[in-house]
Amino acid sequence: MKLNIEGLLVYFPYDYIYPEQYSYMLELKRTLDAKGHGVLEMPSGTGKTISLLSLIVAYQKAYPLEVTKLIYCSRTVPEIEKVVEELRKLMEFYTKETGEKNNFLALALSSRKNLCIHPEVSSLRFGKEVDGKCHSLTASYIRAQHHSNPSQPVCRFYEEFDAVGRQVPIPSGIYNLDDLKDFGRKKGWCPYYLARYSILHANIVVYSYHYLLDPKIADLVSKELAKKSVVVFDEAHNIDNVCIDSMSVNITRRTLDRCQTNVDTLQNTIQRIKETDAAKLREEYRRLVEGLKEANVARETDIYLSNPVLPDEVLQEAIPGSIRTAEHFVGFLKRFLEYLKARLRIHHVVQESSPQFLKDIYEKVCIDRKPLRFCAERLRSLLRTLEIADIADFSPITLISHFATLVSTYSKGFTIIIEPFEDKTPTIANPVLHFSCMDPSIAIKPVFERFQSVVITSGTLSPLDIYPRILDFRPVTMASFTMTLARTCLCPLIVGRGNDQVAMSSKFETREDFAVIRNYGNLLLEMSAIVPDGIVAFFTSYVYMENIVASWYEQGILENIQRNKLIFIETPDAAETSMALEKYQEACENGRGAILLSVARGKVSEGIDFVHHFGRAVIMFGVPYVYTQSRILKARLEYLRDQFQIRENDFLTFDAMRHAAQCVGRAIRGKTDYGLMIFADKRYARADKRGKLPRWIQEHISDGSLNLTIDETVQLSKHFLRQMAQPFRREDQLGLSLLTLEQLQSEEMLEKISQIAQQA
Amino acid sequence: MDDQGCPRCKTTKYRNPSLKLMVNVCGHTLCENCVDMLFVRGSGNCVQCDTPLRKSNFRLQLFEDPAIDKEVEIRKRVLKIYNKRDFDFSSLREYNDYLEQVEEIVYNLTNNVDVERTKQIMEQYQRENRDVIQRNKVKLTREQEELEEILLLEQQDTEQRRLETLQEEQRQLQAKRKNKQALLDELERSQLPASILLAQHKDRAAQLETQIEKQKQSVKPTTIFSTGIPKGQTVSLAPVIRVEEVLYKYQPINVETYGPPLPELEQLDRLGYLNHVRTATPQDLAGGYTSELACHRALQDAFSGLFTSLV
Repeated sequence: MKLNIEGLLVYFPYDYIYPEQYSYMLELKRTLDAKGHGVLEMPSGTGKTISLLSLIVAYQKAYPLEVTKLIYCSRTVPEIEKVVEELRKLMEFYTKETGEKNNFLALALSSRKNLCIHPEVSSLRFGKEVDGKCHSLTASYIRAQHHSNPSQPVCRFYEEFDAVGRQVPIPSGIYNLDDLKDFGRKKGWCPYYLARYSILHANIVVYSYHYLLDPKIADLVSKELAKKSVVVFDEAHNIDNVCIDSMSVNITRRTLDRCQTNVDTLQNTIQRIKETDAAKLREEYRRLVEGLKEANVARETDIYLSNPVLPDEVLQEAIPGSIRTAEHFVGFLKRFLEYLKARLRIHHVVQESSPQFLKDIYEKVCIDRKPLRFCAERLRSLLRTLEIADIADFSPITLISHFATLVSTYSKGFTIIIEPFEDKTPTIANPVLHFSCMDPSIAIKPVFERFQSVVITSGTLSPLDIYPRILDFRPVTMASFTMTLARTCLCPLIVGRGNDQVAMSSKFETREDFAVIRNYGNLLLEMSAIVPDGIVAFFTSYVYMENIVASWYEQGILENIQRNKLIFIETPDAAETSMALEKYQEACENGRGAILLSVARGKVSEGIDFVHHFGRAVIMFGVPYVYTQSRILKARLEYLRDQFQIRENDFLTFDAMRHAAQCVGRAIRGKTDYGLMIFADKRYARADKRGKLPRWIQEHISDGSLNLTIDETVQLSKHFLRQMAQPFRREDQLGLSLLTLEQLQSEEMLEKISQIAQQA
Repeated sequence: MDDQGCPRCKTTKYRNPSLKLMVNVCGHTLCENCVDMLFVRGSGNCVQCDTPLRKSNFRLQLFEDPAIDKEVEIRKRVLKIYNKRDFDFSSLREYNDYLEQVEEIVYNLTNNVDVERTKQIMEQYQRENRDVIQRNKVKLTREQEELEEILLLEQQDTEQRRLETLQEEQRQLQAKRKNKQALLDELERSQLPASILLAQHKDRAAQLETQIEKQKQSVKPTTIFSTGIPKGQTVSLAPVIRVEEVLYKYQPINVETYGPPLPELEQLDRLGYLNHVRTATPQDLAGGYTSELACHRALQDAFSGLFTSLV
């Protein structure tokens, strides 16, 4: 259908539209009009993706000078593929309606592992190996050697692409990863480099968060994207953790040992090159004396995504004299390495700030701040000069060099924690140096500064105001949308007590309590008897799950449950988990019914959808707080309090509730779907916890569903399930939660729609 | 790390966890016992390289690679002499060259390349730059100064935070104690029944709690002035960097008018142009207006662009 969104003609590829989609598009358009950033929360399964795409594409078509590009960031490869499919549908609709050929170019970009078509390289299993092998075939000096010595192997796809691929732009259309590969095979071009080159003039780019947020990758891939782009972060409820991870470094004893071998290799290679080809080193030296000229030239056009690892003023300067020659630099690395080794040889935990670290390193091994800052840049230059083909081998030393650069560049927002052993095994020495970023805004700042509109959206972003605070930006729109429903298809229940009136809670003091564990078991047992098909249960941690399942086994509860349903368990091992998941789905399919025991923050809770009969009930055992004793977390909380005035408890509750919401949200993936959401902890009944759930869940929690006993829960659930099991047709939804164009245009409906969005 | 051992008596850290390894100027290791035994007289030769050593020069080995210990030792000695700062140089390039030279010296001394010659260079440098070295001894580099400043601020912050929480706790404790005392007093003196008094006390206690809670939420006082300068800041004493640039030189602008040349401002009267212009009244003249100016301006307008041809 064709919609009129405040004067903008939007093509929407379906015949019906949800009212909240319309409202979502309104808000989105206002954000784009204001050229500002937005935070939008809309329940999963209400067609966020297609609303986003159709509005932004329409906007691009209407104002081609205002918005030139859409950068759509998603988390996983399947999600990326899903987005491209939706986009394809939209474009087909455009061609059908307007009858003219589209000149839109949209493509997905992923790592080499997913895009490589070289027969040898693509058969490798790990991403790192693929990257390394690819580099060893396509590096500039390898190709130069190939010129003089044709027996040196190179990648023919890249050669072909390099020879002709850049002149002719890729024909317009929609390309997912497979399409790119097919196109590459047909032409004999490397799809990866083709995609990387083509994103510069594509209208829509779909790729993973890391291409924009991780400074090491963003500098390579995304730095030339135009300012007039709209950036969308989908499923962004975890964006702060992504930011933090991309700037943090963990160094173990093993890393250092491997670094030592790296340094030795470097030294030997330098020795060898000096004997055979000293001119090369002299050339590099001359270049470094001149300053980081290369980098400067590339940066002159300025609209590049600035690299938070190396601030611009540093790049203006020349590399300090003390690490200019290769031998001196290797000596410098050696000293730095030995210093780190000495620091790791401790028997108690040390926490210090970057300035303290810098002072100490000067006193111990006479390393100044400035050469440290240039460490990453210098290492890159050296690796290039030495023509080392297999970069993958040098990842430990690269990691160390990044650490050196970061620690000397930022005096705030980072902390260094050295732990002599893991918390679980205090007797085994396993020293780790955590260089941990506490301020997610550092990594994301260039994105907000650079692009005119950044939209953060997800099903669970509540409370909305905390994201602008921790990411340090000023949104022009913040809105939360509810789900309009023809029937209440979700039923959140907060179970606080067992039948014996003992309070249920995963709180630390009652964690080992027999009564609590038994009550949890009874709850699951009762539910397994009344809920059809699949139940997903989430625990707060693997350890807690193990304890509970063990005592359920002893109490015989497990046996009783198995009479009703099969039980599957998620483990930290990915292969095992996907096996369990497969079998779980099989058991749901054939009607045997199954229970999946999994962990909040685990793989299942983040990426797997349990549509329809795969998840008729979700039970959340306890409140999924993070492990609060971890020193990194403590440091971060302290930082949040001092810098952003966010109290520890607020943040912890916020973090726990967003994960709880994420878990229970797995069950409802659309309006025809239905599911129970059971929060099994009495603490959920408190206003401060409940208030942090997303609005679309909160709305359905009435006073009657607070602090229930198991019996009451069973009663309510039975009632709910019986109601939901009645046939449900499209006609029932029409006019209420599903609209045709005429219905949408009625005054009354527009009035209703304006109430869907709640501005924060 | 456990396979480190003494090369002479072959004891390792694994077998004797309290083993202490020592390093001397030559960069070779010995354990503490061996040092005591071999260097009873205070001096002797290194077991591995026969360098004459003194017992007093033995230091505890900090790093796993004794060569690093040796290098750091040498580096510290060299840096005591080569202590020029970046503001002693007129350009960054010179400073970098200087840094490289220092690095070269350290490298040579550690790897025993041209030791004699390097030592000579060092001595010569020391003689030539005696007063600079003396002067710089007390000064820190600018970066170190910055670091010191940040550290100082950090210390102040943590100290202040600690004091604040301490005071807060004290205040709360006192308030609670006072409340309790008040209850006891009232129970002693008042005529009201005890249950009412207890209820009142409970009320007050609850109020106190909410008050405390509220205080916790309030934003802490600012520590910076409105200009953004923190209160009690220590000012860096490093001199301002000299900016060396070529002085600005004025060059008259030459405007291409595409028209016939204009008469000079002074010549207007003589050439009779002014006859066609209104003469300035005394009021106009007071404001700085002269008829020449207006006339000249009008001529400019008229002449410019006369030669341009329409395409």
